[in-house]
Amino acid sequence: MELISSVISLTFLAQVLRLMTPYYLGASGANFSERGGVINIAIEGFMNLAAFSFVLFSILTGNVTAGFICAVLINLLFSLFFSYFTVKLKINQIVTGVGFNLLIAGLTKFLLVYIFNSSSNTERFEGIPDLEIFKGIPFAGTVLSDYMTIFCFALIFISGFVLFRTKYGLRLRSAGENPYAAESLGVNVRLYKLSGILISGFLSSLAGIWLASNQNSYSDGMIAGRGYIALAAMIIGKWKPVNIFFACLIFSAFEALEITLQISGTDFPTQLIQMLPYLITVLVLVGFIGKTKPPAADGVPY
Amino acid sequence: MHCLKMTAVEFINITKKFGSFFANRDISFSVEKNTVHCILGENGAGKTTLMKILFGMYRQDSGSLKISGEDIRFNSPHDAIAKGIGMVHQHFMLIDDFTVMENIILGNEITKGIRIDFDKTAGILNELISTYSLNLDINKKISEISISAQQKTEILKLLFRNSDILIFDEPTAVLSPAETDEFFKIIGKFKSSGKTIIFITHKLNEVRKISDKVSVLRRGMLVYESSNENRNLDLNILSQAIVGETVVKANTEKADIVFPGNDGRNAISLRNIFLKKDNVSRLKGLNLDLYKGEIHGICGVEGNGQNEIIDIITGLETEFEGEFSNPGCSISLVPDDRLKKGMISEFTIGENIILKKKSSNFISERLLDRISTETAEKYDVRVSDIKSNLSSLSGGNQQKVIFARETELESDVMIFSHPTRGVDINATVFIHSKIIEQRNKGKAVLLISSDLDELFALSDKISVIYNGAIAGTFGSEELSNFRNEELIRKSDESTGSPLSDKIGKLMIGIKTE
Ligand SMILES: Nc1ncnc2c1ncn2[C@@H]1O[C@H](COP(=O)(O)OP(=O)(O)OP(=O)(O)O)[C@@H](O)[C@H]1O
Ligand SMILES: [Mg+2]
Repeated sequence: MELISSVISLTFLAQVLRLMTPYYLGASGANFSERGGVINIAIEGFMNLAAFSFVLFSILTGNVTAGFICAVLINLLFSLFFSYFTVKLKINQIVTGVGFNLLIAGLTKFLLVYIFNSSSNTERFEGIPDLEIFKGIPFAGTVLSDYMTIFCFALIFISGFVLFRTKYGLRLRSAGENPYAAESLGVNVRLYKLSGILISGFLSSLAGIWLASNQNSYSDGMIAGRGYIALAAMIIGKWKPVNIFFACLIFSAFEALEITLQISGTDFPTQLIQMLPYLITVLVLVGFIGKTKPPAADGVPY
Repeated sequence: MHCLKMTAVEFINITKKFGSFFANRDISFSVEKNTVHCILGENGAGKTTLMKILFGMYRQDSGSLKISGEDIRFNSPHDAIAKGIGMVHQHFMLIDDFTVMENIILGNEITKGIRIDFDKTAGILNELISTYSLNLDINKKISEISISAQQKTEILKLLFRNSDILIFDEPTAVLSPAETDEFFKIIGKFKSSGKTIIFITHKLNEVRKISDKVSVLRRGMLVYESSNENRNLDLNILSQAIVGETVVKANTEKADIVFPGNDGRNAISLRNIFLKKDNVSRLKGLNLDLYKGEIHGICGVEGNGQNEIIDIITGLETEFEGEFSNPGCSISLVPDDRLKKGMISEFTIGENIILKKKSSNFISERLLDRISTETAEKYDVRVSDIKSNLSSLSGGNQQKVIFARETELESDVMIFSHPTRGVDINATVFIHSKIIEQRNKGKAVLLISSDLDELFALSDKISVIYNGAIAGTFGSEELSNFRNEELIRKSDESTGSPLSDKIGKLMIGIKTE
């Protein structure tokens, strides 16, 4: 009973919205890449890399802004590498993505031990401070205390606008739908693909930074498949910014439920709840929400 | 007054090789401003290649180009577009999931601040549409519109970019007779507004009708040129120039097939079929029977249910109402859209053929090469390298490969959807005689075509399809009467015969009598 009332509450809803943040950042990023025709499963690795470098440089410099900037730049650099392999050398995108994820996982593990003398986590640090303006207001106080959550709300409109209302978006999408047609009209397809990947690198770095900042440390395996779930949310959301947002809410709701259960101390096995997002994804992918249609040339090297 | 004709395009000793194969060899000729210039030639003669060079998609190995007297060198289509050149490709370059408008403006967007100014664009496009009577809805997605509307989208792309030199690569191959007439009217308007038109086709009667000048390519070389300013082009000389020897005569002799009674002759029957797709009725009470040893021609404007019939017979479509029976006949299909339905463009000829062969579980390179070579010889597929992918074959040669695969399967029911689309004169004759051969072997043949001449020449029976139902069927007697009349009337092209008139009207939903 208590459990139900704690789920049906504004606090819970605020929690769901807050936890949506990394999913939506990752999913929007992946969407820009896929709209340009490049499947980017390295989102998982990109989040991991950004989380680690954010913590590392924040601790080294004692300044989260510096940490933030370094994390973003490192992710952009890795996105460039990723584009070099997938767009320039036309290596299979899935293989490249898996390679990046494994490489980054290994690299962070190694550096964790090498720099922080720990195989599990870094020391604690102060993350990005909260936004104070709405403090004290019950619901908004929680939801709007976080810069990146606010940015996510804006991002729904920004990505919709950029993808469907601007010249850039039209050309990016044309590269993902039919690069040959695009090229015949003088569109520089490779450049647009590169830009999509860079945006995905940028947005996924924000996701990783958010996770590390909220945990006030980096720990090995902390991304815990959120990058993959973000990709699932993108697919369930049919590559449309608004739909992706709602898909992300489904996943963050499960995460919030899991946390509530843990706090309430019931002996309900939380592993079952942890399983649900994946189950949902599978159900959706076998055609629960209707057909999903990716960009026509998604994943095809050009 | 000294009248000097301005040249729009000048090809000077153009040579283009793929490997060691000459696709274009030392081609020189010029296209005068404000004329319709036809380029003719067999499948694989090098027409598309030459046009792609002009459009900046390929770079010539040697030779040069002049546009309006000025030396130019294109690095990409972008450069060509900037010089006022536009091209409608043999295989359309459209994005299915985009609207007509999005397809047109891509690469040349009109913006207001950072956003695309869709309102202003729509205004400009709609004005062009009404000036050239294109009759097109710019807010529809490409996947929702007919082939002729897709072609108009391609045309509008050129107009929107203000192209002065318009290249059309086999534009009429996909059009019905009525749509072709409409297309020629549009071409007429282009000419009167001062544009230059380069036009590739395999249909000689079209050439006489609209060209000012013709150039013929054979095996990569320019072999013949003629003016047609007085519309008196000699089509016999022209067709000889195209094929290099005399034109092959069709063997369209139909054997009389005797069946014991009528039992067992019926191969496929469709009774009172209703089909809805995406809430739109596609078939509305359609009846159709295919008999063994009979060619049943279907004519109609594209999109009136032809593809749905094929989907039902081949088993692709199962959610229909009505009665469909097939007493265990095997089925072969030469589809209308070879790029999407018939072939895997990144496979070789041999690989494409072996896909459907039942006997071969193991594949060796030797076997594939043997199949490729045999097919190429038997069906006269012109390739530069027997190991090359289908995507590097010319359009007509791709079609021959698909046709070869399906006829060699020896299925009981053969469906040919636009079998000679984009195929040259001799190959058309060859394909026609193969279709007759299938019939004479006792196969049930369904022939879907928008080419009335083809239907009249081959069919034992013609049905007109309109709006998801058969609007009328004409049996062998009517058709043979028609053929006899035709022999008498042969030279006079201005008046249509009563039968073809009647069919033409049925195709657009007008019932006579
Ligand atoms: N990208 C390519 N790579 C290799 N060979 C090619 C390539 N493109 C064309 N060819 C070859 O060049 C020749 C000329 O092809 P092209 O497409 O110009 O013919 P075409 O005259 O347009 O024929 P069709 O009437 O069938 O369209 C063909 O033999 C073809 O196989
Ligand atoms: Mg061609």
